[in-house]
Amino acid sequence: MASAKKAADVFSGSPVSVVGSRSRYVDVWIWFSYFVLVVGIIVAVTPFFWMISASLMTLGEATGRAILPATAQWDNYQQAWVIGKFSEYFFNSVQITAITIAGQVVFCTLAAYAFASMGFPAKNFLFALLLTTLMLPEAVTWVPNFITVTWLGRIGPIPWVNNWPALTIPFMASAFNIFLLRQFFSQMPPDLWDSAQIDGAGHLRYLLQIVLPISRAALVTVIIFGFVGAWNSLAWPMLVTNSDEWRPISAGLQHFLDEAGSYVHWQMAGAVITILPILVLYLVAQKQFTEGIATSGLKG
Amino acid sequence: MSQMSAQVVSGLRHWFSGRRRRRIRESANAYLFVLPAFAVIGMFGLFPLVFSVYVSLHRWRIIPGPYLGLENFVRAIDNLTYVVGLWLPILLVYLAVRTLLAIKQEAREHKDMPWLWAVPALVVAGGIYQFIIFAIRLLPEVLDIAEKVKGQQRTQQLFVSLLGEAWQEPAVQSARTTTLLILLLGAALAFGVGRLRLTGVRGSSYFARLVIVLLLIGTAAAIGWLTLTTIRGIYASAAETGDVVSIWPQILAISGGVVALIAVSVVSRRLGFPGRTTTLLSLGGGLLAIGLKFLVDTGNASVLDIALILGGVVLLFLSWRSWQEIQKRTSIGGVVGWLLASIAMMLGAWALIAELPRVIRAGYATWWEGLLNTVYYSMFTVPIQLFIGLFLAILLFQKIKAKGLFRLIYFLPYVTNPVAAAGIFRVLFSSRVNAPLNRLLDIFGVEPLMWLDQPKGIFQTLLPSLDLPQALSGPSLALIVICIYGIWSFAGYNTVVFLAGLGSIPTPLYEAAAIDGAGRWQQFRHVTLPLLSPTTYFLTLISVIGTFKAFSHIWVLRSGAALGTTDTASIVIFTEFNRNTRYGYASAMALILMGFILVLTLINNRIAEEKVFYG
Repeated sequence: MASAKKAADVFSGSPVSVVGSRSRYVDVWIWFSYFVLVVGIIVAVTPFFWMISASLMTLGEATGRAILPATAQWDNYQQAWVIGKFSEYFFNSVQITAITIAGQVVFCTLAAYAFASMGFPAKNFLFALLLTTLMLPEAVTWVPNFITVTWLGRIGPIPWVNNWPALTIPFMASAFNIFLLRQFFSQMPPDLWDSAQIDGAGHLRYLLQIVLPISRAALVTVIIFGFVGAWNSLAWPMLVTNSDEWRPISAGLQHFLDEAGSYVHWQMAGAVITILPILVLYLVAQKQFTEGIATSGLKG
Repeated sequence: MSQMSAQVVSGLRHWFSGRRRRRIRESANAYLFVLPAFAVIGMFGLFPLVFSVYVSLHRWRIIPGPYLGLENFVRAIDNLTYVVGLWLPILLVYLAVRTLLAIKQEAREHKDMPWLWAVPALVVAGGIYQFIIFAIRLLPEVLDIAEKVKGQQRTQQLFVSLLGEAWQEPAVQSARTTTLLILLLGAALAFGVGRLRLTGVRGSSYFARLVIVLLLIGTAAAIGWLTLTTIRGIYASAAETGDVVSIWPQILAISGGVVALIAVSVVSRRLGFPGRTTTLLSLGGGLLAIGLKFLVDTGNASVLDIALILGGVVLLFLSWRSWQEIQKRTSIGGVVGWLLASIAMMLGAWALIAELPRVIRAGYATWWEGLLNTVYYSMFTVPIQLFIGLFLAILLFQKIKAKGLFRLIYFLPYVTNPVAAAGIFRVLFSSRVNAPLNRLLDIFGVEPLMWLDQPKGIFQTLLPSLDLPQALSGPSLALIVICIYGIWSFAGYNTVVFLAGLGSIPTPLYEAAAIDGAGRWQQFRHVTLPLLSPTTYFLTLISVIGTFKAFSHIWVLRSGAALGTTDTASIVIFTEFNRNTRYGYASAMALILMGFILVLTLINNRIAEEKVFYG
């Protein structure tokens, strides 16, 4: 098994194993490592490179044999933004994401705090019940939740389908966020609560004024998860939107990919618009992304 | 009189003071804190599970239709439904018995009398069943409100009055009253038994577990009854028309296979896995199976079919054992030998098991193909992305400059928007002659390919002279492109997680191994791999489950020209629900998918128990 052999040789380069006298071998190995790693970078980045390049091409170039545009067609973005209706999709998504995250932060913080530092009957049972929802594949919830949401829209004062409630309310609390925040809150030293009590603070004030400011890191993780989840979701928004009025950006891009079949340059401009916010967030909050998402397996 | 009431009040005040009062206030507060999150999760996370079971038992096309029993399940997986329907109760009863034995054990250790709790447990369990009956009666009435308000002025009052009507429905009302009475009686009995304090502080734990045992048994009875009456109904109607049905033989055959598999597993664990002879035998078995597969015509040889499938399952298991054997070998020759044996057996097993859809031919073909595509997708992405991830992580775990930058960029394909990223791939792998990938092929002088529009299996494409049967022609090229997308997007994620895993291995271990004279390969084999196994296990579980749930990128990369060869299970469920509006049927398939994921998780846990080394 040649590949396993290669993997085995790895430690000739690791700091520990360089005890022997194989420095030349190590040299070659390190160069080989750099080569493979750079190839990895190229593979990872090429599709993005092509996306940006194609988004600046003319239609002829994008469907032809060009690799780079002759002159950058910044107009494409204008076109996608207006004709492709990405302006609408973008602001829909901004609203949906903001509402969802606001709900998540409030609801999940409250519940997580109760599970972490309050005593009440059936606490463990309720927490176990909460965790079972993590086992549920999204596909199982499509049908029942769709029926629920249409029902709620019919009986209530505002429609849910094709409107913000169906897109946001079902995601306003997640077992995963509660679990994550509870872990964080449980690490608070109990002395804090005792001294807060002596100062006359109740649970809510203690939570707002002491626990939350300390837990900023965990809250940032929750916000990032909420953002990625709301911005990237496709299946559920496709089920509950059938017009552009509330269609979020991922579903909008999918719609545009299907509708504007041959306008590759505009499609790629739309893809850039869709990716950009996530990319910016990733570059800003790299640490939370790699640590939070990597250890949780979010996104399946 | 007034004196007495004053006494009661003061008594209450006394009871409700000090610590108890604080505790009650805190509980009330906590429930208020938890309430909003539970309202959302209860409605959109817990209720859907119960509700989708309800929907799956009905004909339901946008509006609820008549009760169908197991028909939706039978339509999806045919007679396998009955096998599951008979084994599931056995499993549930087994779980119940295990819980009972645990209670008995604990009671003996503490000299408790837990069985007194059985009385209130029985009553409470009865109350819960009565509640389910109440819910089943109430649900259609409540759902119907949406129909009733149609065309009327939608006001709060109207809704409340309609809800009141549903609530006052005689059948609902009687179920509600009995539920309430039984639950109250149960609570009173539980309180009474608690007061007796014969069982010590563990009383409530006994009580809860006994209720769960009773619920398990009740569920088992319900599923078993449903399955048996369905089978009996089929036999009865077949007797009327004079048809011949062979459900029982099939159930027996498949169940026999399961039992045989468990037996093989137990025996081989007890005896150990004998070396060379078994290898040769299974190698021969694999080749023989492939040969047989070619010989057997597509005729109606059902007994033979079942025998073949059983053989395939056993081979698959042997292949797994020899895969384990690889990890014990240190010499290159041993590894290669066992690897070849394992692959041969796997192929043999595949050839045999791929017959399963044909045996249960009456099942819904699209659904079987969806499951098959999911399995293909899983098989062609998970091992490769794990391997690439491990390899890159090991390379990065050296004195490499700009390590952070490498990690940053490797993670990029994973964090981007899947619709946009898949959209790029859709253009890159388009079937146009000028599409980037086809141009790349052109440089090497290869003819342009259809990529995402190519429904033909890749083995068939690679071996055009052979006329391969459907099961052996492999995943379509279009599905392979989706696999490439999967690998591209998840390899970097694996790299990052493996890097964290490598970082947690203490360096003195390598030093000690080096002093003991271990070479690089041996260090990797005996230090890195075992200590990395928790990470590997975590990633395998996450990735396999992820491939079974995958939706977004597959939906984007799906093309009509690929003729459904890229439709995985989730996609089939989605189209069946959204496009064909068969709600009940889609729910049944989603539940089956959930069962699959559950079984995969259990198998993974089982393997982890044996293999993972938590140093």
